Amino acid sequence: MKILVCTESRSGELDSVSFEMLGAARAIAAPGDEIVALVVGSSQQAATTLGAADRAIVAIDDALAIPTAETAARIVHDVVGAESPDLVLVPYSATGLDVAPDVAGRTGLPLVAYVMALSRNGGAIEAVSQIYGGKVLATAEISGPAILMINPGVFPEAAPSPLDAGAIASIDPAPALAAARVMLLGEDLPDLADIDLAAADRIVCVGRGIGDAASIDLARELADLLGAEIAGSRPVVDNGWLPKLRQVGKSGRKVKPKLYLALGVSGAPEHLEGMSRSDLIIAVNTDANAPIFNVAHYGATCDLFDLVEALTDRLRGADA
Amino acid sequence: MNILVLLRMMPDPAGEFEVLADGSGLDREWLDFQLNDFDDQALEEAILIKEASGATVTAVAIGEGVNRVLQMATARGADTVLAIETPDEGLLSSRWLAATIARVAAERGTDLILSGVQAAEDWLGQFAPYAGAALGWPHVSGTSRLTFQGDALDVVQERGGGVVARYRVPLPAVIGVQTATKAPRYVSGSKLREAAKVAIGRVQPEPALPHPGLVLKGLALPAEGQGAESLGNVAEQVADRITQILAERGLSAGART
Repeated sequence: MKILVCTESRSGELDSVSFEMLGAARAIAAPGDEIVALVVGSSQQAATTLGAADRAIVAIDDALAIPTAETAARIVHDVVGAESPDLVLVPYSATGLDVAPDVAGRTGLPLVAYVMALSRNGGAIEAVSQIYGGKVLATAEISGPAILMINPGVFPEAAPSPLDAGAIASIDPAPALAAARVMLLGEDLPDLADIDLAAADRIVCVGRGIGDAASIDLARELADLLGAEIAGSRPVVDNGWLPKLRQVGKSGRKVKPKLYLALGVSGAPEHLEGMSRSDLIIAVNTDANAPIFNVAHYGATCDLFDLVEALTDRLRGADA
Repeated sequence: MNILVLLRMMPDPAGEFEVLADGSGLDREWLDFQLNDFDDQALEEAILIKEASGATVTAVAIGEGVNRVLQMATARGADTVLAIETPDEGLLSSRWLAATIARVAAERGTDLILSGVQAAEDWLGQFAPYAGAALGWPHVSGTSRLTFQGDALDVVQERGGGVVARYRVPLPAVIGVQTATKAPRYVSGSKLREAAKVAIGRVQPEPALPHPGLVLKGLALPAEGQGAESLGNVAEQVADRITQILAERGLSAGART
């Protein structure tokens, strides 16, 4: 079996999700299989750490320092045509989300998204996808060439190791760049002067279960007593109850605090991606099936308002 | 300019899910269906562009409760509303939906297709890139702001970590909206009652797509509380245990490390 792994890079550096994709490929590869890594970026140097692959194909140009999904998809499409891989692994990232279905649509290959587990069953691959925000698992059996879009944060990273220069082949990205219609005007980095969740060592995160903006004040008081930053999941931020810089997850910040107290957070895959590596996760949710409990160290199914009140009382007592 | 916005009815994400005994699908009897969160944002973005540019907006809906949601779309400003006949009760394939919408877009002279960036059932991949591929149009997903520039859109895309990218995308195009430029508007009861009179057109779905070599073996609920040590369901006891755990780890209030 030949497995094509689509890496991601920015300003010449590989993103760590690239090594997760290699980890996923290694997890299902059998002896004799070949893992081919594809690098679309601005530095060939990046490919020299991809020793977890058997070889690499690189499309390098200064204009690809921040590749657009459109250009990346065109290059992936051409490489799939030339290499005929059995599996193509693409991360479910801001770029991968636009790349994988585009390539599937243009090549006719089947695609399975939201993949969080892979196994090999004889000649077939079994892929488990998280749907309904991780509340339901769908298992697919794949017996022919296919594209898999893999959730970040679930497969362990393959270790960077040297890849021989002889195992790295270049392709010309010029045709893909010339055909581009979507133009990147620029990228803006966040102003972290006010709040940098990634630097916080304690976080109290509220989810949809908090109910309304007024109730966030209760959680904020608890956070203050814990010396924690208040944060929210996507629905909370989309409702305007907390500012964007306080959002944890795929489209927010990725955090790894010493304490992560999740109140009324169901734990959609996009949220778990941003916090599952926290040192201590305590989750409170009345739904015992909430996926947040799959990454939590401790879980409680009591009413979150009762808990916030009881915990606030105890911490106030300790403070006095 | 003609905008087409896709509205998918999905089970309430806060609800409890039950899988049929044979794993073939969800038990839909007790599920409450509502508009996919992200499609709600896409609808708002469509109406905002209409207000800024004089575009017309066609809302196309699929799933349980489409009449209700199309009336809401009309009350918010959609000019034409269409319902796709739902083929069956299985998971909605965004790939198949893209084939259907691509045909409708071509028939109606659409310049811009908007949808939510993702839906809870699109395990076969997301709609916007599929629609882009089907039509040969550029597409960008995960947007938080669109500005109409005549023959193009300026698009802000959320890339995670607070990083945003800015693009110029020539029309025609497909956009997968994460968050609208402004929060979805409130609609009054009187506007909704007025909208109840609007005629809802019908869209014939494309035939189901083959997925050679791919079989859905079944759905299942994840194992309950896998990995987490239970602190129970009595708030006072949970608070005691959490206080104890924090103390053991040197994380009590005031003990910042």
